[in-house]
Amino acid sequence: MEEQDQMQSSIEVEELEEQQQREGKRLEEENVVRFLDSLDSYVTLLDSLSSTLRQGWLELASARQSMGASRINGALLDLKFHSAATSLQVTHHDDEILNQPHFTLCKWASSKNGYGDEKLRENKLQTNSDGPQLRHRSQFAGTPEKIPETKGAPLIVDDQVQKERTKSLSMFGTLVSPKLRAAQLSFETALETLVEIANVRLTMLSTSDQVRKELEGTEG
Amino acid sequence: MYGFEALTFNVHAGYLEAIVRGHRAGLLTAADYNNLCQCETLDDIKMHLSATEYGPYLQNEPSPLHTTTIVEKCTLKLVEDYKHMLCQATEPLSTFLEYITYGHMIDNVVLIVTGTLHERDVQELLEKCHPLGMFDSIATLAVAQNMRELYRLVLVDTPLAPYFSECITSEDLDDMNIEIMRNTLYKAYLEDFYRFCQKLGGATAEIMSDLLSFEADRRAVNISINSIGTELTRDDRKKLYSNFGLLHPYGHEELAVCEDIDQVRGVMEKYPPYQSIFSKLSYGESQMLDKAFYEEEVKRLCLAFEQQFHYGVFFAYMRLREQEIRNLMWISECVAQNQKSRVHDSVVFIF
Repeated sequence: MEEQDQMQSSIEVEELEEQQQREGKRLEEENVVRFLDSLDSYVTLLDSLSSTLRQGWLELASARQSMGASRINGALLDLKFHSAATSLQVTHHDDEILNQPHFTLCKWASSKNGYGDEKLRENKLQTNSDGPQLRHRSQFAGTPEKIPETKGAPLIVDDQVQKERTKSLSMFGTLVSPKLRAAQLSFETALETLVEIANVRLTMLSTSDQVRKELEGTEG
Repeated sequence: MYGFEALTFNVHAGYLEAIVRGHRAGLLTAADYNNLCQCETLDDIKMHLSATEYGPYLQNEPSPLHTTTIVEKCTLKLVEDYKHMLCQATEPLSTFLEYITYGHMIDNVVLIVTGTLHERDVQELLEKCHPLGMFDSIATLAVAQNMRELYRLVLVDTPLAPYFSECITSEDLDDMNIEIMRNTLYKAYLEDFYRFCQKLGGATAEIMSDLLSFEADRRAVNISINSIGTELTRDDRKKLYSNFGLLHPYGHEELAVCEDIDQVRGVMEKYPPYQSIFSKLSYGESQMLDKAFYEEEVKRLCLAFEQQFHYGVFFAYMRLREQEIRNLMWISECVAQNQKSRVHDSVVFIF
């Protein structure tokens, strides 16, 4: 009887050890997949940034062709002191796995009109809907965050954003060519992509560290 | 009287008409553009241009070249040709030639005023001014705070003085006021030029009427499209349209209330000369509109050379050279940005 009990308990211990090993292996694989996902996203975003910037520069040249060199040149840039139309916010993730800062672009936020929070939210909405589709191989990556839609408020925000865009272009005149507006949108998209690249790079470096530690632990 | 220019034109302007027709023969050909479009670097462009009339202006420029340098040096060629013709011209041709440069003068005034508003250095702004639009007291523009001072201190002694009567206010200069001032001045200048050409009569009046009417109509379309989504009211928009041209007055009434590109298209397609321009564009698109207008303008400018004994050839030559310089600017930008596949987006071939 005692022998049977001992055998039973040793089997249980073995099973527990096996389970722990499987769990450990699963976590390792999860980190590797997370690293590969972030690397893929990083490369995709870099490519997207490059093509967006190329498009923006060509659109700017096209606007210069349309409006004339005297209307679009560096000598017209405004040197007067003014508050930034766009700022970068750094927040810290509450994620247990990835304890790292997170960058958020606060576009077209003006302290005068107090629309800063709406801009931040609108930016998140845009980033989530317009950004490149990131592939998630891992089933453990978690579902994308769903932000509830609001009705009515986006229209007011869009109007204000349009006004801010027009205001920033006003250094070249108030009646500017649609090509210049298109160039502005391209560079705006490029700025959003840059911030995404920064976030993805942080994730990539963090998961890379974890994978390296696990490999070193395995070899040791 | 129209038809009798052949008897007297060559007495005063025959030499200069021959000169300008010689300059016309020096415009870049399709073969030149083919070579330029295949260049890999800006130095290659410089090498190809060395065999053209631009060669002497670029030969001493050191590498690495910049696109603005190429444009600047090519513009010097245009300025030299113009100055030679102006110093040889007698009235009324000399006044006609001066009228051609008033548009550049307006652009320079607005550049200086805008740059000063943005706290830029005056010297830096003067370097960016178009050489054809320079005048003696241009640097003094930087001290003016409003349009009244602008007029009283500087512009009263310039050819632009008569055009200021409609926009003299004591309001401080800001971005919107400057834009309205630019367009109001240009409107007054075009109308004045048009009246001057009508007074000259004959073939000059007929050919220049067509060219200036096209210019006025194109301006109306551009103002309408560029003011969509801005704070410019319909009434203010209508005030910026010229009082002549094919679109005046009914087309202007309709353009003033347009809220998008398709509505502008709907208005323009009612006018047969502009149907062909808008038929090249797809719905909702305006990117190729500039090129379509430039192509139509070049066609009309080339036709001006088909007839003799009129001043339109001088205007046509200046505009064709400016188009050529725009082409060179675009080709240089495409080469510099390594986007040669897009070079034919904006190049307008002449002849």
